Amino acid sequence: MQLPRRYNPLGKAIDGGMSSVFPFHDQYLDRKVALKIIPPGPNARRIQDELQALFKLRSKHVVQVYDVARDAFSIGIIQEFIEGDDLFSDDLAPADAETYLKTVWQLASGISEIHEAGVIHRDIKPNNMKVDHEGILKIFDFGLARHEGTQAATIGFVGTHGFAAPELYANTVQFTPAVDVFAFGATSLFYGMRGLPNELTLRPPQALQTNPFLGLSFQIPDEVAEALFRCLSFEAAKRPGISEVKLVLEKHLLSEKHRALVVNGPKAYYLDHENRSVSLTYGKHGAISVRYDGFSFVVVGAEGSVFLNNSPAQVGDNLPGACVLTIGPPELGSKRAYVTFDISNPGIVL
Amino acid sequence: MSDLLSDGDVIDDRYRVENYLAQGGMQYVYVALDKTTGRKVALKTPKNASARKRFRRSALVAARVNHPNVAKTLDYIEDNGMTFLVEELIEGSDLKSALMSRSDFVDPYLVARVFHHLAKAVAAAHHTGVVHRDLKPTNVMVVGGYNVESLKVTDFGIAKMAGAEMEEAIEGGDETLSASATAVGALPYMAPEAIDTPETVGLPSDIWSLGAMMFHLLSGQFPFGSGLRAVPKIMAAELPNVSSFVTSKNQFRPLAKEILNIIGSCLRKDPTERPSADALVELCNALCYTVSERSIGRVYEFRHNAWGFIRGPEGDVFYHKNSVYGPLPVKGDDVLYSCYESEQSPRALPVVKLKKAEQA
Repeated sequence: MQLPRRYNPLGKAIDGGMSSVFPFHDQYLDRKVALKIIPPGPNARRIQDELQALFKLRSKHVVQVYDVARDAFSIGIIQEFIEGDDLFSDDLAPADAETYLKTVWQLASGISEIHEAGVIHRDIKPNNMKVDHEGILKIFDFGLARHEGTQAATIGFVGTHGFAAPELYANTVQFTPAVDVFAFGATSLFYGMRGLPNELTLRPPQALQTNPFLGLSFQIPDEVAEALFRCLSFEAAKRPGISEVKLVLEKHLLSEKHRALVVNGPKAYYLDHENRSVSLTYGKHGAISVRYDGFSFVVVGAEGSVFLNNSPAQVGDNLPGACVLTIGPPELGSKRAYVTFDISNPGIVL
Repeated sequence: MSDLLSDGDVIDDRYRVENYLAQGGMQYVYVALDKTTGRKVALKTPKNASARKRFRRSALVAARVNHPNVAKTLDYIEDNGMTFLVEELIEGSDLKSALMSRSDFVDPYLVARVFHHLAKAVAAAHHTGVVHRDLKPTNVMVVGGYNVESLKVTDFGIAKMAGAEMEEAIEGGDETLSASATAVGALPYMAPEAIDTPETVGLPSDIWSLGAMMFHLLSGQFPFGSGLRAVPKIMAAELPNVSSFVTSKNQFRPLAKEILNIIGSCLRKDPTERPSADALVELCNALCYTVSERSIGRVYEFRHNAWGFIRGPEGDVFYHKNSVYGPLPVKGDDVLYSCYESEQSPRALPVVKLKKAEQA
């Protein structure tokens, strides 16, 4: 394939399983890039559409596509060269739940951004993601050329055993985001247990009877284990969307990290994992207690006339991020107590 | 206006010029279509030889940073003796015109949001060893106006050139300074070491600039003044007194004080005493601020010197003077506010008085 002059070859192909990747040097930007050649096929139009979408995608967790070269026979994709070990490597085995959750969250974030861009990865597996020296996970090697439709069956099996969703073994192959979600579940399981249960390595795989995420060598929160297990549902429709899984992971990674500022006239209170509760009373007009449960700020007591924005406060309500508490009945007019409640926006530190 | 390129010109067989956009201190900016990716990009080309000198090296460095709060450097091209930097095109305006033109400052909640995003941007750059060197409001792009839908630091690529021009300006005195729009814009936010020993400028210099910018955004004041008179004050790094309105009201005092504390740590004379960008992100993680939508409306009633009503896109909104940050608006003034539903009429908080649109 004839590439623009700016790219100088840097040596032999690096074998990437399904396809080969060639290292090049981009003279203009003085950086190493990877050329991936996609063989011709009936899906040229779809590949073109997905490439356009990938150009727009700028995720910290997905390889960046820089340039495209074409000839009569194939498409060459010039993309970010990613250094580091792939997730298959035992050197990256997670030592504890925190490391595990952070890595799996990065993977979910990357897939989530891919899906939001309208693309399906098609080949999520531990060998197709690397962790760089800063601990940042990056997904690469999209299965762009994977065939689908009825003709796929005659070409042969289209996935990677162990990570391919059960529906990919059917006669008519249709790639959906749920295929990536299954592969995400299997990859997360592999990463945690350093292998896959026998049921998943059969061709086609068999459904798991018990939740293997509860049996990892470190303990992850039940809600996370349950969400990850649902990713491995044999019925595609029962798998969660990847962004839902990402939110569950986020919830647990950010647990105990919030802070709230409550301003009540001249008084200001801070709530966090050390000071969990505040009770506010305004004469005989009303009272409210709020407690931080590690995930959200919850109304644990409400008496008299108390409103959260425009609705009456009730025990069990979560305080929204932007909130004014009004204490006192409407007859008091502007003499009611107004308390502002603002929550911090912590981020996941990798 | 620049006549270096014409609409329809194609650079490196890939970028087709669509229109001239603007000029910065060092460069002309065009909108171009990237034929390979089908998306629009910002095509920047240096104004003169001294700018060109550093264009490439800076582009190479900036291209390494990949963060949603940093305008992405996409490409660098030498074609027909000209050099071009291709950057992500941002459909917005710079922070100075977006947030600091109709009012000299914004409320602490909005400052916290901007601070948090900028700290993340600087942290991403610092992780790859990139120093911006010229952080100032005109190098930050804001999408969505006061709603700050997204915020991107730009011109990492040309930062070093600004340093060179600044050195000349300082040596040349006020006359050179006023001739250099870039230098005038940068000076109020420059760290002492950037003025005194430019060769020692490093990661902490960006932290100082960020602190100085946030001081300006919170209070409407340059922390050390502007023009050459700022130089000795910056060198002394004596923390300025902030206008009393910043901390005078119960509603804003707690958050404003926390922000001022963080700013204070950024404005330490000794660069090693300033927080790292990562530490700054952590500090901002603890700030309690909400991201409620902002509206612009007009005060049509103010009673008993205590409360009044704003007419805005949501209809009529109640406000109390305790919720006003900065000078109180009078009847007929435009204000910026967030609207909270209540079981009676909606309530505005915070409220910031705006200048008349034509004065901005």
